[in-house]
Order: sequence, then structure tokens, then C-alpha cells
Amino acid sequence: MGMIHGDDYRESLRRVKPEVYYMGEKIDSVADHPAFIPHINAAALTYDMAWAPEFEELLTTESHLTGEKINLFTHVHHSTNDLVQKVKALRALGQQTGSCFARCVGHDALNAIYSVTYDMDQKNGTEYHKSFVNFLKEVQKEDRFISGAMTDPKGDRSLPPSQQADADQYVHVVERKKDGIVIRGAKAHITGAVNALGHLVMPTTSLKEADADYAVCCYVPVDAPGLVHIFGRQTNDDRKCSGCLMDQGNPEYGIVGGEALVVFDDVFVPREQVFMCGEYDFAFELVERFATAHRQNYGGCKVGLADVLTGATYALAEVQGTATASHIRDKLVEMVHLAETLYCCSIACSCQGYALPAGNFMADPLLANVTKLNVTRYIYEMARIAQDIAGGLLATMPSELDWGNTKVGKYVDKYLKGVTDVPAETRMRLLRLIEGMTCGTALAESMHGAGSPQAQRIMIMRRSNWERKKRLAQKLAKIGEQPKLV
Amino acid sequence: MKVAVKYCGSCNPEIALSDVGHKIERALQEAPGINVVSRRSKPIDVMVILCGCPRACGDKKRIRKRAVHCIVVAGETIDLVPVAEKDLTARVVQKVKSFSSAEN
Repeated sequence: MGMIHGDDYRESLRRVKPEVYYMGEKIDSVADHPAFIPHINAAALTYDMAWAPEFEELLTTESHLTGEKINLFTHVHHSTNDLVQKVKALRALGQQTGSCFARCVGHDALNAIYSVTYDMDQKNGTEYHKSFVNFLKEVQKEDRFISGAMTDPKGDRSLPPSQQADADQYVHVVERKKDGIVIRGAKAHITGAVNALGHLVMPTTSLKEADADYAVCCYVPVDAPGLVHIFGRQTNDDRKCSGCLMDQGNPEYGIVGGEALVVFDDVFVPREQVFMCGEYDFAFELVERFATAHRQNYGGCKVGLADVLTGATYALAEVQGTATASHIRDKLVEMVHLAETLYCCSIACSCQGYALPAGNFMADPLLANVTKLNVTRYIYEMARIAQDIAGGLLATMPSELDWGNTKVGKYVDKYLKGVTDVPAETRMRLLRLIEGMTCGTALAESMHGAGSPQAQRIMIMRRSNWERKKRLAQKLAKIGEQPKLV
Repeated sequence: MKVAVKYCGSCNPEIALSDVGHKIERALQEAPGINVVSRRSKPIDVMVILCGCPRACGDKKRIRKRAVHCIVVAGETIDLVPVAEKDLTARVVQKVKSFSSAEN
């Protein structure tokens, strides 16, 4: 098979029965609940766009395992061109959804685990890579949407996993059986968790020997016994269930990917789905490779979203009669400058990518971390400019229910109108879209998605060749013995 | 004459690539003697490679190999010659026809 359509994906969600809670209630069918439909629509587009002639070249590729045509999101990158293709595909998708489509996380996990299982086997003589390749073939054949589950709740952050008062603050192995393992703990902020078919669990930090039980990487189907999903609230999420469409801003695709707290309450994982168990000395490698792949993305997808936000802001300025003011034009140019700077970063870290021992490619880690660190700033700056241009109505606008009210609707129409030839409805729709993209959850996602800024700084600190920089300066300043650097 | 259309991937097109592509396909379908076929069919006489910008990502060896002739639209250019977006359809059709008459 190799490639499915968006509706096949929706049907696949109806076939599984995950335990999902939202607003204090257990959800019967994720695929049919209004709280999740926008996130499912966004993920479904990763399938449907792969079939569209216009996007096929970006969203499909050839499996290095079978030679068959597959969806990009199940591919393991084998060149820098592949890495660039991913960034371009993410931008194209972001332009169409204006929101997170969630599928990149599992994709990045596939790439990271593929290489680390190979490295572990080379050193230890284990057979994780073979198991993983078999798993990857299944994923490619079914075009399966999987999530990447890395972040643990972490408890007291001053202590390593093995010294936590509550051992479950990090996912760990509680029992080793002949045919598999039992894991306990939780993963937090997992994007697409409730609308995926399974989770690739990975350690969240570098580990020492005492933490060996926490060095666990495995695949868990979304409806495995003991697995519980608690879906997170988002800013204005009750608008999704209120019957309002305009007030949602982006009713079809929502504002973020849809995150959940995923609890592993003694979940059994069969041996063939275990890809790391106790190899604490490879935990950092896995974290770094996953983080690099994921941080590489943010100058792709977020730039696609920035294209939408800039377009909405420009259109709103036209509707409000301010588009020709020089300061507005200057601010719009600034938005594009910020967005394209992020795109430059993602393209650069992809072009500077390199091969790993397993033969697959990863982006340059230093530049990928710079990309994501910039995202934690530039997206906020773009949002600030959009809100500046939008004006205070962004925060004070009446509901679409009042606009549709027989008594007061005429006042909303009259007093929310901008230029004469454009109805108030147009202005309201643009304002709601900008509100969704710049107020609340969507912004925090840019800050903490793929790791908080400090996580990027730590990687940048590790990857910067400080001693060489120092020697360069010492040489020019004629300090001490002159090192030969050229 | 069998003609196929292939897109670059549309990551951030500088022209309305889908619209341009649909117009070109429609115009080619209406032109006498031209048969628009799937980009995977064989043989193909002319492959129209539609790219949204001058980077021309769709212009790849493996795609060129599929056809006897190729026409590369890359933003507001056809085979590196500047052409306004509004004129792209007519110029592509004209170029396809020129291959046809040359072979006759």
C-alpha cells in the first residue's frame, strides 16, 4: 500500500479504542468529537496533499527499504536533499493549515531511532535495529500516523530520574519479562497523541548508570491496556463546541496540534517493539538526534503559518484602510523578514546535514538549535506586529452570535465596518484568524514545542567550538605561542 | 502528441501555480492533436514542468528522462525566458505546438 488518503486515516482512528479524557469526560470517538476534529483535519491533509499533483513532489518519496512510493512522513532521510524537502513540505503544509499538523514528531522519532538503534547494535551486539527496521516497514506500508513521546513530567528538576521522590516522574521499566517489558510513568505535551495510532516513547534526557531503567525506547499502540490520554485545554477551545465557526478563527484546522498528557500505567510492550532497554549511554544521542530533527522543522512549518499570519494582517490593513500607510508597510516587511530569516535557518541546517553510521542523514545540530531558538523570539515578534496592526478590536470584538442577532447584528455590521466596499464580516473573520494565531496557546507552542529555549542554549553551548574561537582571537592578538590554524 | 504536467511541489510559489497549471492543462486538452496524459505514463512527448519560482525544484533528471521534450515554467519564466504570469498558459501551449509541428 504505502500511501493512504485522509479519509482512510480518519477511519483508522475509528478502528482503535484509545482511553481519552477531555473536560472530565471519557471520549467515545476521537474522530467524531468537535474538540479533536480540527487537529484530525490538519493531520489528514498530510495524507491528501501527498496525492495532489501540486504537492506530490514534496510530500512523497521512495522508501530506501522497499523502493516503493511512500508518504514523506514515514521516510528516513538519506541525503541533504531529503532534509531540504522536509522543510519545504512543512512550509507548504503550514500554508494550507495555518496550524500544526502534528505528524512531524513521529517522523522525527523514526529518523532518530533508526540511527541510534544501529549505533547500539554496533557497540553491544544487540538486535534493536533489525526490530526497528521491521517496525518501520509496517509504518511505511500502512502510512501510519505515530506520535513521538519524549518529554517526561520531570518532577524535581534538580534531581536525576533515579533520585526522584516519585520514581514515575520519568517513564521507566518496572518489569522485564521473557516476551517484553512493563513500563510506567507519563509523557507530557504530546502533540497529536489522541489522534495518532501509537506512540514512539523515547528518553527525555541524558542518563547515568543509576538511571538505566529510564533508558527505554519503544512503540506503544494508542489503545494498549494501561495507556491513558488526558487532552490539554487550549485558549478559547470551548468555541469549538459552541456551534460558532467564525469565532474559532480557523475552524477547519484549529490553532495548535492538540497536546495530551499520556499516562503509562504499567503498560506491557512486546519485545519486538522495544528499541532501547537499559542502554543509558545512548540516551543523550537519541535525545540530541530527535531534538535536532524536530528543531530543524520549525523554520518550515512555522514559516508556513507566518505566511498565513502576514497575509491575514495585510488583508486586515486593507480592510481597515491602513495598508498604504508607510509604517504599516514597514511592519509588514518586518514580518516577512522575520519569517524568511527562520526559513533561511531551516534550509541552512538541512544543507549542512550529514550522514550517520546507519546511512541516514541528520541536520546540522548547531544550526538546527539556532533555528528553533530564533523561533522562540521571532514568532512572538511577528505576533506583536500583527496585533499592533490589527488594533484593539482583536481583543474586544463581539461574538459572531451577536453579529447574527436580529436586534443588535445591524450595529455590529455598521460599527465594525472599515472601508466602504468590504463588509464587517470580512474584517471579523480576519481578526478572529489573527486572534487564534497570536493569542494564547499558539504562541506558547512556539516557545516550548521541540524543547524550551534553554534546551537549545544547552545544545548550542555543547556544539560551539569554544576553544577554537579562543585560539583564533589569541592568534590575531599575538597572545602566547602562535597556534597554526590555517 | 502526448503531453504530461509535473509540479515542483509548491512549497512557496511566486505565481498562482495551481491556477496556472489547471489553465495549462485545460488549454492543452482543448488543443487539437494534443493528448494530456498522466505524468507516469509512457511514452511522453512533452513534459511541462511547473515550478513556482526560479529555483525550479521540479526540473530534475529523473523527470526529464520521462519525456522526449521538456518545458520548464519557473515562476514568471519559461525555459529561462521571462514571461508574465498572465501569458504563461498561451506561451506553453504555443511551445508544445511547436514541438508538434517540428515533428510533422
